[in-house]
Amino acid sequence: MHEYFHYTHYPYQPVALANRADPRHHAVTIVGGGPIGLTLALGLARQGVKSVVIEPRDCVSFGSRATCISRRSMEIFAATGVAERILVEGLNWTSGTSYYRDKPIYRLQMPMDEKQRFYPMVNMEQCLLEQCILDQVLTMSDMIELRWNSKVTAVVHDEQGAQLTLESPQGNYALNTDYVVACDGARGVVRQALGLKFTGTQYEGTYIIVDIHLKSDYPTERRAWFDPPSNPGATILMHKQPRDIWRVDYQLRDDEDAAQAVKPEQVLPRVKAHLDWIGETGVWDPVWISSYKANCLTLEKYNHGRVLFAGDAAHLVPIFGVRGLNSGIDDSFNLAWKLAYVVKGIAAPTLLDTYSEERVYAARQNIAAGAKSTEMMAPPSAGFTLMREAALSLAAEMPMGESSFAALVNPRQTSAITYVESRLNSASSDAIAPRALLGAVLPEHPWKSVSGGVSSGSHLSEALGSGFTIVVFAAHAPTLDTMPAPTTVLALGARTSVPALYDFFAVEEGATIVLRPDAHVLAKFAQCDCARIRAAIQSALA
Amino acid sequence: MLTETELAEAYTATCHAVTAAGDKSQLYLARLALLLMQELGDPKRIDAAIQQAALTH
Repeated sequence: MHEYFHYTHYPYQPVALANRADPRHHAVTIVGGGPIGLTLALGLARQGVKSVVIEPRDCVSFGSRATCISRRSMEIFAATGVAERILVEGLNWTSGTSYYRDKPIYRLQMPMDEKQRFYPMVNMEQCLLEQCILDQVLTMSDMIELRWNSKVTAVVHDEQGAQLTLESPQGNYALNTDYVVACDGARGVVRQALGLKFTGTQYEGTYIIVDIHLKSDYPTERRAWFDPPSNPGATILMHKQPRDIWRVDYQLRDDEDAAQAVKPEQVLPRVKAHLDWIGETGVWDPVWISSYKANCLTLEKYNHGRVLFAGDAAHLVPIFGVRGLNSGIDDSFNLAWKLAYVVKGIAAPTLLDTYSEERVYAARQNIAAGAKSTEMMAPPSAGFTLMREAALSLAAEMPMGESSFAALVNPRQTSAITYVESRLNSASSDAIAPRALLGAVLPEHPWKSVSGGVSSGSHLSEALGSGFTIVVFAAHAPTLDTMPAPTTVLALGARTSVPALYDFFAVEEGATIVLRPDAHVLAKFAQCDCARIRAAIQSALA
Repeated sequence: MLTETELAEAYTATCHAVTAAGDKSQLYLARLALLLMQELGDPKRIDAAIQQAALTH
């Protein structure tokens, strides 16, 4: 098999123990050193909070797994110092094509314009992505302690904190911590230790996931085929990844045995038939084969006393629409500032309830969209199979873009979630800056500091602080009294110097948008009123 | 015209109903076609839909 990625193995660092326990007391312990756990550790470090990460492996995870990184995830990776590393090799893309048999029926166009800092999607194998995140973590060893080769075997918790039992090369030992965040994935031990169960729907249809090494100039986009001549009756997906790796997914028929179907002798002829049919004539070999079933499952809440859940440990969403890894990255960034503020005593512990509320809401949105995609990609019953054939055949009889039935195959790619009902949203009018909805991520726009001196980058998102950011449409930053939490005041300039920005946000001079540390809109005011800004931040923290 | 979301919702509801009809799904779909004809109330458009739905291959 072609080796496209070199796995670095990290040595276990012995821990000073006393009476089979780590005598140090830890504020935050993260269970799981995958992309979610490590991004959370970076997010906490950004807020000045140290963490310990417990990981059973001694390297990043094997295989490409999640491949599509959303624009929202890239914004988070930018804020945590990882985005530049990703963009060295990551493949940007915006569009895709869906086919019924041999006819293109639907063109996917994700939102992209000249205002954006990042593409809507960046493709990168999960092992490469994890290495990018890990390389950043390794530069912060004063803030993040990684314990490789260490496995959690028991969790007990009360109102004061939690005690974990760890199995390590030094034997079993106890670790005491104020907070535990479970980022240990779908089969996570923490969820099991607490006796918590997912609720929702599990789908029966099985997909085979194959990565192949193939040199091809075909551009980076999403291609989906329904009932292609190469594999009649099947649904096939293809994505390009860095280092000449291509992802091929296909659905098994109901009568096929998944355990048999992942064997190379079963997989390779199907892949070959498809590559031959689409005209890929280059030499190729498989590098990774796995199988997958769609799930729409979530915990009812993500905070249980001193134990919190994020990523696949908290919810499982279908791969169609690429919400798995991306929703977990969103979880970690939502949680990072809240947990940091609680640990530092800036906010009341109830702030963590809003993590659960907002991210359970997001999971339900993600599940609804993912379920819709799954209905097309893996029809869950006879009615869906029959109706899909009807809709796709009608679409294929019209020129592409003309049949309204074609849009049924819209993969509903992930987009940033707006916390419409969040109790953090401050009572303020959506008539001010209507594009910057309360609870939504601040829309991106080109912006450069006009005051000279230190460069602020080229987009708004680059100028945001790690605490609350008070974005003021004015030439100069107003003097604001002491705020109850770290804040940055960002004066965007007078209307005459940045007219496009004023027009885009539809605001007058003085308009003020208060952003949370995760760049979601907290409050909006027609004028920069210090008392009201302080009240909005105070109420978020109380 | 239905919006993309409205069409997707009607589609999913019909999928569930066809599954629920089990081995009577043909009868279910014929009944649905008759009801929608009555609702449409336009002989020309009904005729065009009947022609367009024909399985030509």
